[in-house]
Amino acid sequence: MARKTGQESTGNTPPVDPKAPPAAAQAPEAAACGQGETCSYVHIFQEWCKGCGICVAFCPKHVLEMGRNQKAFVARPGDCIRCYLCARRCPDFAVTITEELERIRQEGAES
Amino acid sequence: MAAILPYEYKYLRAKKKFPHVWCPGCGIGIVMGSIIRAIDSLGWTKNEIMLVSGIGCTSRMPVYLDFNTLHTMHGRALAFATGVKLANPGLKVIAVMGDGDALAIGGNHVIHAARRNIDITSIIVNNFNYGMTGGQHSPTTPMNAVTATSPHGMIEPGFDTCALLSAAGASFVARATVYHVIEMDGLIRQALEKKGFSVVEALSPCPTNYGRANRLGDAVKMMEDMRDNSVTVTKAAKMTPEELSGKIVRGVLAEREAPEYTDLYRELCERVQGKAAEVPK
Repeated sequence: MARKTGQESTGNTPPVDPKAPPAAAQAPEAAACGQGETCSYVHIFQEWCKGCGICVAFCPKHVLEMGRNQKAFVARPGDCIRCYLCARRCPDFAVTITEELERIRQEGAES
Repeated sequence: MAAILPYEYKYLRAKKKFPHVWCPGCGIGIVMGSIIRAIDSLGWTKNEIMLVSGIGCTSRMPVYLDFNTLHTMHGRALAFATGVKLANPGLKVIAVMGDGDALAIGGNHVIHAARRNIDITSIIVNNFNYGMTGGQHSPTTPMNAVTATSPHGMIEPGFDTCALLSAAGASFVARATVYHVIEMDGLIRQALEKKGFSVVEALSPCPTNYGRANRLGDAVKMMEDMRDNSVTVTKAAKMTPEELSGKIVRGVLAEREAPEYTDLYRELCERVQGKAAEVPK
């Protein structure tokens, strides 16, 4: 029996608890635009966030804030410039930005 | 609506092991992300990679990464990695070690792996103490730092890891900090590409033990200190020794071409045994 490869694990069942509220739902701005996930480039995976505050402190546009549950949430999704610094500095792999993969592949080829 | 996950997810054992055990604000997760991005940018498949570690906080890394992994005894990561590399030179062997793991218990293995110049990439995550066991002092703890075993201040000077391994003969020596994460991605990528023994020393905050004992603040404050107290190699070349005292020099500190050990071993076997030589390639 072969071990699982990454291609298998990326697609099917993500380790998301369906009961957990989406990150953007806690922010009033995100809630106002209807579908939080589609409005925001940046997403915080609340299950894995430990609340160290690194993403909040080093976001150049102050998109993120600490919530009352000591976890980060997307407070101003419209300000995100997709610099990817929060996603790269997150020690817990909790922050992700859509279309990040292409961007990093490009940068890797250049550096 | 599909959940949006970090793209590093495909390299993680996400279903079994996450969230990981590292403390909030620990930089080892950032180093792990850098290793993933470096490998991803090189386009290597997961089956080509061999990740070896010893014991300690950093050495938990193979538990979370879905490569071929080996979690070995304290300090012996490079001893096992050398064996793996000689048995199967086709594998890209990466050894991840903490500062205590690499320089105290495994100190001999590190300097002799560097002397042999065997094609292993070692990532030494330096958080200035033994985090997992409660913050005892390690060989890299700076002078006057307070730890669990030096409550009145450390009276020994710390190791300069990069100078040590550069002098021991490593092909590629670089230092990165977790604040300069894009730079660290590039340095780890260069180290992976380099043939021969390559070392990246990644400075990482330990807010739970070292940071608390020395009143350095939380993880954010410790990362800001890294930003304010570090200079690049090019800038450091223009500074006087007085200006450089207390500064962290980051970037590629040594790079040289030298014969590689598995190549030499194969040549030796072919020379001595002739066509009968059966050396894995």
